[in-house]
Order: sequence, then C-alpha cells, then structure tokens
Amino acid sequence: MKFNILFGGKAGQGVNVLAEILGKALVKQGYYAFCSRDYQSLIRGGHNFNVLTFSNEPIASNEGKIDILVALDENTEKIHKKELKKKAIILKGSDDNMYYAGRLFKLFCMDFSILDKELKELEKRYEENIREAKQGYNEEKREFCKILYKGKKNAYFLNGSQAIAQGAIKSGLDLYYSYPMTPSTPVLGELAEKQQEKNILVLQLENEIAVINVAVGSAITGAKTMIGTSGGGFDLMTEALSLCGMAEVPLVIYLATRPGPSTGVPTYTSQGDLNLARHAGHGEFLRIVLAPGDPLETQESVSQAFYLSQRFKIPCIILGDKHLAESFYTFEREAKITKTEKLTKLERYNGYEKNPETGSATDVAKIIKKNVEARLRKSEEIKKEAGKFSQYKIHGKKNSKNIIVSWGSTKGAILDAIKDLDVKFIQVLYIEPFPREIKKEFEKAKKIILIENNSTGQLGNLISEKTGIFIQEKNKILRYDGRPFLADELKKEIKRKMK
Amino acid sequence: MKIKKMLNKKMPTNLSTQTKPTWCPGCFNFQILAGVKKVLEEEIAKGKKKEDFAIVTGIGCHGKIFDYLNLNGINTLHGRVLPACLGIKIGNPNLSVLGFAGDGDAYAEGIEHLIHAARYNSDLKYIVHNNQIFALTVGQPTPTTELEFKDKTTPLGVKILPLNPIKLMLASGASFVARVFADVKQIENVLKKALKHKGFAFIEVLQPCLIFHPDISYKSKIYSLEKTGHNKTNFEQAWKKAEEFNYCLKEKTKIPTGIFYQKERETFEEKFPQLQNLKKKGIGWKDIRR
Repeated sequence: MKFNILFGGKAGQGVNVLAEILGKALVKQGYYAFCSRDYQSLIRGGHNFNVLTFSNEPIASNEGKIDILVALDENTEKIHKKELKKKAIILKGSDDNMYYAGRLFKLFCMDFSILDKELKELEKRYEENIREAKQGYNEEKREFCKILYKGKKNAYFLNGSQAIAQGAIKSGLDLYYSYPMTPSTPVLGELAEKQQEKNILVLQLENEIAVINVAVGSAITGAKTMIGTSGGGFDLMTEALSLCGMAEVPLVIYLATRPGPSTGVPTYTSQGDLNLARHAGHGEFLRIVLAPGDPLETQESVSQAFYLSQRFKIPCIILGDKHLAESFYTFEREAKITKTEKLTKLERYNGYEKNPETGSATDVAKIIKKNVEARLRKSEEIKKEAGKFSQYKIHGKKNSKNIIVSWGSTKGAILDAIKDLDVKFIQVLYIEPFPREIKKEFEKAKKIILIENNSTGQLGNLISEKTGIFIQEKNKILRYDGRPFLADELKKEIKRKMK
Repeated sequence: MKIKKMLNKKMPTNLSTQTKPTWCPGCFNFQILAGVKKVLEEEIAKGKKKEDFAIVTGIGCHGKIFDYLNLNGINTLHGRVLPACLGIKIGNPNLSVLGFAGDGDAYAEGIEHLIHAARYNSDLKYIVHNNQIFALTVGQPTPTTELEFKDKTTPLGVKILPLNPIKLMLASGASFVARVFADVKQIENVLKKALKHKGFAFIEVLQPCLIFHPDISYKSKIYSLEKTGHNKTNFEQAWKKAEEFNYCLKEKTKIPTGIFYQKERETFEEKFPQLQNLKKKGIGWKDIRR
C-alpha cells in the first residue's frame, strides 16, 4: 500500500500545516509518511502545493501520480489534472484548510479524536479549526482506506531544518548566527524559538559577512558556534572561510542549496553547490564537507561537524538543499550523536601567517613553510577520525554489479525507486575528506549510474578526480529543473539506463 | 626567603611583544600604541588581568598594533574588525574588547558594520586610526581624503566630498562619539573615558601619514571641545560641532577634538538574558557544560 495526496492552494491558505497534521497523525498510527513542499517566492496568492506520500513500508520520497487531490482553490485542479490516477478522488469546495483535514480523516476511517489531538497540539486557531474539521468529517461519507493503529513506538516526523536545529542543540551548540535566506531560514526560526529554554543565543545580523565574522570572534573564545546560509550568502562569507583556514578557527557552517547561479530559483531545490563547498575561499586550506541524505543523518552529521571542527580547528560545512530542508521524513530510531568537548580558547589568532611563538605576523620563509605543513599535516589525522564514521553507505542489493552512486537529498527517491531492482546504491556522505576506498566498490561494477540534482554531475567529477574512474555521460541521471526526483519516474529512468 | 618574596611580588605587566615595529620612523601610530599601552597597563596594575582584554585589528598600517600589544584577540580581515569584536564580546561578555581599524577598514570596506555597531551599542571600544589615506598600499585616497588630493591612481584629484564619520556616528545612534589627535596624552585621556563608558565608544584618531599624507598642520588646527564648554549630552550641539570640520584641511580650518557626544543607554549585552547570565557568573560560553 502506498498513496500520494496532493494539497494545493494559494500561499497563505494553510496548505503546509494541513499536510503536516495528516502526516504526523499517520506516523503516530504506525505508518511511514513523506511530505515535500513546492512553493513560490511570494507571500499571498500564487500556487503552492505539498505532496504527502504514505505507506505501511518505509518510504522517503514522493511519486508523480496522485491518489487524492485536495484543492483549496480552483487553480489546483487545473494545474494537477494530468497527474491524477484514474480513480483519484478530488476534494474541493471550501477554502478552509482544516475542513479537508476532517474529510481526509474520515476517508481514512480515523477517529475524530486523533484529529482533535493534533489540532490541540497546533494551539493556533483551535476553535475555528475544530469547527471546520468537524464539518468536513461529517460531510464526507466515503471510505478510501482503513488506517489502523499499528502500535509502533518512537516514530517521529521530522524535516531537514528541524534536524539541523535539533542536531546542533544535541551537540552542545552555544551560538547560532544567520541572515535570512531561503532555504536556510527555517533553522534560524527553529533555534530562535528554543533559545531561552536551551540557553543558547540566536542572532540575525546585518549581513552574511557580519554573520561569519561575528562567528569567528565567538568561536575563538571557545563557544560552540554555527552559522547558516544559502549559496549567495555563502559566497559573501568565503573570505572569512579562508580566514578560518589560516587562523585555525573551528566553525560549523550549514549551507542549504537552491538553484543558482545568482538569485536563481529561490524556493526550489538543487545540488549545485558541491563544488562551491569544496573550493570556496582563497589559498590552500583544509575543510570538512558533509552531505547527509535525510534528517536523521543530518543530525548525526551536525554532531560530527562539531566534533571534527573542534578537534582539528577547521571549518566544517554541512551541505543540504531545499528538498532536504523542507521535506518531512519518518524515523523510528534516534540519531547517534557524537559528543564534543570545547577545545578552543582565546589566544592570539591571526589572519596573517604568524610566528607561533609571538602570535604576530611573519614573512620568514622558514616559518611560513613550517606553518603550511603543520596545517596540511592535519589531513591524515582527519581522515583517520572521519573514518570512524560512515563516510559512505551501501544500500540495496549488496552483491549487485549495477551500481548507483549519489549523495545528499536524492537518497530518499533512490531508495524508493530501487526496492525491487537489481541495484546496489552507494551513498556518499563525506565529500571532504572523500572516502577513496570507495574505488574498490566501483571496480566490481558492471555499470555505474550517477544520480544528481544538478546539471554537471559534480559528484561524478569528484569521483573521477579522487579515484580515476570516469562515469559515462550516458549513465548519468541529472535533474536540474529545481524539482526533486520522484520515485516512480526515477525507477523508469534507472531501468532504461540498466538496459 | 628573600628570593621567594621577590618572586611573589607582582611585577608591573608589560604589554610589549618581542616583535620589532615596522612602522616608519616617527609614525604617529607609535603615539597611539604608547597611549593605549599606558592605559591598559594601568588597568592591569589596578587589578585587571591581561586575559581580561581582547583586541581586534584590521588590515593596514594600524593593524600592526596587534603585533606590538601582547594581548589575546585576532588580527582579522580588512573591514571586519567590528564583527569580530562583537563575536568575542558575545562569546564572553566579561571581556573588555578593543577594536583598532584604519579609515579604509572603518569607512570603506566595512562601513556597514560601523553603522550597525552604533545601533547595537555593544560595550566595545573602537579606535579608528584615520590618516585619510591608504598607506600600506602606498597612498590611494580613502573615503575621508580631502578634495583635490592627487596620487598615481587619482591623477585628476579627488572629486568626491569626504565622509564625515562623526556625523555618521551621531546619526547612527552611537552612545559615545569622540575625535582626538594622535598624541599620547589625548589618546590616554579619551581611552580612559571610553573604558568607563558603558556601551559602544567610537574614537576617531586623526593622524598624518608622514609619507603619503604628510600634512602635519592638524596640530595647529585642533582645539579642545572640553575647554570651550561643549555640552556632550546635547545632540544638536554635537551635530553642530561635527559640521565644523569637513576633512578638507584648509588654512582657516578649525578641528574640534574631544568627546562630541556621550549618552549611555541599554547595551547589547544587557538586552539578552543569556548574556547577562554569563556576566553574572563571570564566565563565557566556553565554561558552560552541556
């Protein structure tokens, strides 16, 4: 069993919260749900939609074909008509979002008390919500499927932004600085809300340059410091990223990608910034780049980022994207958090090459050479430490000769697409340091298929650089229209490539 | 016994480093260094610890002061002195944080931070070494270089009116706005007052650059605001005084020096319970175990 519900309407109609409430309720009943958002860069009007997919088996992506269409405005039906399955149900006729919650709960034979509980948790507009929901519940007479309580424990529904925030708090975050930029902004909100309860400080500063430079100041006092931004903001930060490389400042940076170049398509998704994360900043310096594939891995990556940056005094970038940041996933286990002590203290830091004895700037050839080598020497230790974590994961049929390789938020769609295919999926989690031993996996392959949410196959190029293995152009599945992969469509493409 | 006693006796702290200064002979930066050192060494003699201070410097001749002051902190990027200061202050609000910048840092590359620092009113002391020139890059005009100044990059002469940083600071809500000449006594005097001020203190230090902006007539043109009975709590008066000098040194120019404006208000640190809590406990975030 697997169903896709599309909720569409104008911005401001409450499509998001409607989808989230149903998703949460389904997860609590023991089902697996995945919910993604598609929205435009505007505040009121336009067309926004969420797709909620749920199943009694683990899933982590949407499909293109819709079982139930919830249309909060007329436009929705027009736009999504072609995506409907033959027997699809269309719910329409009201512009109150919770009216549809009522109808859906009835269609799924879920007791009204479950919805009531969710609305209570929501707090906002309870009286109106419950009235709308009741009306919908009473009006709906059909039965679509029976959602029965399966009594699963500890399941929760989480998106990537919440995961960044929770991961940081669990890792002992002290300070978070940011400047609003989609899709990194939700983290700012998540953390700001919790700042008093968790005794952290969350600040929005005058621009991204201020954000990273204030963060450098705080990080050198020993505070666990994190900043968040998207591509354009990260560009502004790169000079100070290089400063972190020289002055040896431990800083965790969340880089949430959207389609570029430039302002690009602000509210859509892309994996176009892998090269940026690897190469940004002038001069030669070490950095760590982590690319989690779902919110659970995101929490774990954040904790590893704090650990490695504190231990080696280097900047550590967590590379995410809009799809990961704003999609909700279902999990049944808690993240494995790596604990870190605060290992930094205020001393004489310098953006110049410095004499280690005085902390003052130097141009003495011997000292320069020694410093450069000392900084680069960390790379062996970093590799060893990073090796303690999963730098890459193998999914699917472990002995298959057909290999799919990918990274980041494509994970969910790939996992769902390959369920009954003869495929082994290698998911790269560490971009830097890159797990070179991955080469032996590729050497066993008959075919290597690359899947990325960008137009040039940046991971593919990285693999070539690090392992000497080239992935043929015809074996690349690249999507660069701002949209994430959908499991059913991706499955067809993989099958085509496997022929 | 005697030796032990001698060892236990606290020697006056010397904030000098082993690094030999590379400023030009006679550079007015030596005056600033001497004034700052004297005030901080006195603070330490009175009971403060060396570790209670943090300094931040930018890029340019002024930035070398980092190398000659044996204090913790960071010699940071061009234009980013104030964000680094704010970051350190947030990291540990018990630290006394001093920022040093040149006119290039403060008024060109990082001017946005100056405006916001005045708004934030974090308890930082900011000293701008204004020699009205980019000296370390061998003599290009800055935003405070006077009209008609000529150099290799500006053969037609500067055509754009200089910025008036005193007015900028007043308009931005700075709670302490001062200007002095690069003279040990003046630096000492104003820095002592700035350290006592609760909030952001902006101190512009006018200095000739003996090589690229060698007009040393400042000395005969400056006068003390204090001695003329200036009311530093009166904003309108401060604004009027700020307008007296437009950064173009002419024969009859008169340059007011001293504190133009001072009015304490809630500091950045006082606005956040998290930071007040650190202050109360005398600790930084580093000391918080989670």
